[in-house]
Amino acid sequence: MTGPIAQQTSGTSYVQNGGGGRGTSGLADVVDLILEKGLVIDVYARVALVGIEILTVDVRIVVASVDTYLRFAQAVNRLDIAHDGTAQGLPQVVQGMQESGAKSKTKGVLSGAQERLKETFGGDSDAKTKQPARRRSAKKQEEEDDQ
Amino acid sequence: MTGPQADHQTVPQYVYGVTRADAAPPNGLTGLDDLPVRVVAHGRIAALSSDLPSGRPLGERADLMAHQRVLQTLVDAGTPVLPFRFGAALADADAVRGELLENNADRLTAALDRVDGRVAVRVKATYEEDAVLREVIEDDPEIAELSARLRAVPEDAADAVHFDRVRLGEMIVQVLRDRRERDGTRLLSALAPFAESAVAHEPVREEDVVDASFLVGEAQRDGFQKAVDDLVEENRDRIRLRLVGPLPPYDFVPEGG
Repeated sequence: MTGPIAQQTSGTSYVQNGGGGRGTSGLADVVDLILEKGLVIDVYARVALVGIEILTVDVRIVVASVDTYLRFAQAVNRLDIAHDGTAQGLPQVVQGMQESGAKSKTKGVLSGAQERLKETFGGDSDAKTKQPARRRSAKKQEEEDDQ
Repeated sequence: MTGPQADHQTVPQYVYGVTRADAAPPNGLTGLDDLPVRVVAHGRIAALSSDLPSGRPLGERADLMAHQRVLQTLVDAGTPVLPFRFGAALADADAVRGELLENNADRLTAALDRVDGRVAVRVKATYEEDAVLREVIEDDPEIAELSARLRAVPEDAADAVHFDRVRLGEMIVQVLRDRRERDGTRLLSALAPFAESAVAHEPVREEDVVDASFLVGEAQRDGFQKAVDDLVEENRDRIRLRLVGPLPPYDFVPEGG
């Protein structure tokens, strides 16, 4: 099962090309990298006179702990009736399949909070923030306070 | 490369990445707002840029796709490229040439050399939920007991045991974390020998086991692929592995100054 690292399906692992125009799964696989990794322009240039406003999507998942806990509690609840001695009847099997086929798959999907931040490139490169976290939170706050 | 000279001399430029000056992106490659991507060269390195769309904030889904598309096009062609983080812009084409390329020629060239001939791939491993939950119940009597007790509670009385359900879920999450620690370390150490470097990302969901990027050398590719296939086989039915790439090497460019 060896082969080139590209577009190959093998067992439960599948290899796919990243991003670019390939629909939701493609972007989901790289969106955090696009926003949080890569070269940061501030480090490489004293940027002059370009004010651009950037709308970023915070890809970190926002799921309250309790919701997560309840999700797992529910998941084990439907899991295996056989465990406590009851044979799993057909209705339960069908229900289990439906749930795992639809409901559980949609849970845990990225639920990102969209936030808007205004980023103004000034002339002073020393004052630039280099941490994406600060760009998204502290800086945003400053900008909002300015308005 | 395209577009009227007079325009891009004065129009703010969005920068996608840096590549070799002799790299030739396909004709018709477009970026944000389908604007043509041009190659701004200085010496042996070049920036991929386009006019910066004006009059609106950037960051729409289409913008992110465009950023990724430009870089992925070069990666797919086997061209080394240093991706910029989304949102890089300079005042005009002269700034791209001077401030970015000329002033940083040495370190950008060195960074390009480090990714040239390698591919960046991302491995995501996720538990098959039912399988791992079965393991958790089988291995932990306390969880098994509470789970059985709650299962006996009729649906219409579920509210009365709300906090027990939260506690059950909390115990499961704790066990999952311990398990992830073990499984994650095992997966990473199986793959790391076949990569020049690896960057592990913090898993975001409870059922995530591993999320890591690897920079794989040409000579390592078959070995890496084989290692992934072996892991898929070993963990069949309990961990789902996905290998995504080759990707632009976002995780393998110099950080900070």
